[in-house]
Amino acid sequence: MSRRDKVLNQNKVAKLSDIGELIKDGDRVAIGGAWLSSHPMAIVRQMIRSGLKDIYAMTILGSIDIDVLVGAGSLSSVMFSFISMEALGLPPCFRRAVEKEGFRYDETTGLAIILGFEAAGRGLPFIPYRGPFGSDCVKQRPEFYKTVTCPFTGEELVAVPALKPDVAIIHAERADPAGNIQIEGTGGSDLELAKAADRVIVSVEEVVPTEVLRQNPYKTKIPRFYVDMVIEQPFGAHPTSSLPSYVADPWHMMDYMEMAATAEGFGSYLQEYVMKPEEEYLETVGGLRQMTLLKKLAREVKLL
Amino acid sequence: MSTYSDDYTTAELVCVSVAREIEDGDLMILGSFTPLAFVSYVLAKVTHAPNIMYQAYSSVDARPFRITFGSYEAAATAGGVARWNMTECINSLYLGTGVDVEPISSIQVDQYANINLSVVGDYDKPLLRGPGGAGAPEVVKMHRKMLGYFPNHNKRTLVPKVDFITGTRWKISNEERIKAGLRPGPVKLITNLCILSKEEEARPFRIVSVHPGVSAHDVVNNTGFELQVPKDVPETEKPTKEQIRVLREEVDPYGMVGFDFMPGKERVAYLKQILAKEAQALGY
Repeated sequence: MSRRDKVLNQNKVAKLSDIGELIKDGDRVAIGGAWLSSHPMAIVRQMIRSGLKDIYAMTILGSIDIDVLVGAGSLSSVMFSFISMEALGLPPCFRRAVEKEGFRYDETTGLAIILGFEAAGRGLPFIPYRGPFGSDCVKQRPEFYKTVTCPFTGEELVAVPALKPDVAIIHAERADPAGNIQIEGTGGSDLELAKAADRVIVSVEEVVPTEVLRQNPYKTKIPRFYVDMVIEQPFGAHPTSSLPSYVADPWHMMDYMEMAATAEGFGSYLQEYVMKPEEEYLETVGGLRQMTLLKKLAREVKLL
Repeated sequence: MSTYSDDYTTAELVCVSVAREIEDGDLMILGSFTPLAFVSYVLAKVTHAPNIMYQAYSSVDARPFRITFGSYEAAATAGGVARWNMTECINSLYLGTGVDVEPISSIQVDQYANINLSVVGDYDKPLLRGPGGAGAPEVVKMHRKMLGYFPNHNKRTLVPKVDFITGTRWKISNEERIKAGLRPGPVKLITNLCILSKEEEARPFRIVSVHPGVSAHDVVNNTGFELQVPKDVPETEKPTKEQIRVLREEVDPYGMVGFDFMPGKERVAYLKQILAKEAQALGY
């Protein structure tokens, strides 16, 4: 949609199965969230389910989102600064692909990726900053990191180019049908992804009337002129978190680590959790009882 | 009666040593979840550094919180006074004001204060693909202090030259840092054996102190690069009884701090046990 169409379209609510209208084979797809938080996992699973191929994934701080896509063979490559299962260890499919199968990637420092998205969102061709001098990441990507001289002070700075994804996929707490998005949890740089991307798909815990957003307008982080599609998908970030609603599911993550430790095991994981309708997913990972526990864990914290 | 404790684990000693590097008034960021680092921040805040300000996930000036495995992110976020996303955080703090300290760990660290979180072996055909640096390249270079912690002090971790420089302190002496527009500050590595410090580009890391029961000889034998060994090496200050009490009773009752020090295989069983206790506390 053009910007004008995004403004004119006041009803962007769609189904998960509609993402194929906006994501095509070979697209550059920026994935929102960070660490084990707020990744648009239901959309990721749908990408695998629908057989999308040769996707160039772009992530700042990825985890299981990138790992399942790599394991499923959906990616041609990935730009990242970090892919980790945090305390649970290294991402098994990504490791296997790199160490055993020669999977290629664009390792980039974290700030550089964020600034690249910012440049695109501001309509600039690049952004200069006091970059990662001395890092081998710079040597690995000479096409990405350049040096510029400040025209005012003569200081030497690093320039990174605008990063323009074809699509950004994001998970958030709440939206109205027009695509105004409220983010309350660990949204990473989701706003910059939305600004930089040509097309934006957001899954949310709940779609509410615009009036509800107006009651807490400061929670609205992405206004509707950036957004193309809104999908109501409760627990759409599972097994990552979507605060304040629920925490990441460490039990499922541990099962994942165990299954994905081998290619065969990951194959079983795909069959058991991904390659069936999303409606069955939540039942498979523990149903209401487990989801209630994750919600309780999000609420009952101990501050000192 | 001594205020120092004799009942502590190596993990607790390292955690307390990291916490002691945090000074009151420091501006900090809680990045990727490593239990020891999180515990040390909170310990500092509830003991000697109550005014430090930390950003945790999207939460600005988060309150200290109990470290758990099931809800650490929710707890870190719950007490904040504002919500900032990652871009606001890096633009304001990393690139603008400057952060004082953010402890990091890495797969390798070398004599030049370079860190490697990327690969072990050849970059194009690595033996081990690591997680990548996230913000670490900026953390070690731009933050006022560089503070690394290493649960396994050995020659595979403290190497002459890292296989890949994910990040680097780049400029080390105060003079060089100021000249490069960076804030001067210490470079310290805290390991399960000792505390090391580097003050100048041309001088090797120096042993600041060895932990109780460890000799300078042990440190030298387990380090892959040259060290400056003072004539009389002091012993690392032990945790106080109060620090250990606060750690065990308030900040970290589940013992998350020991996690980084365990062999990989034991970690999952340990975490499962902690999760079972957390779920039980919620009536599960």
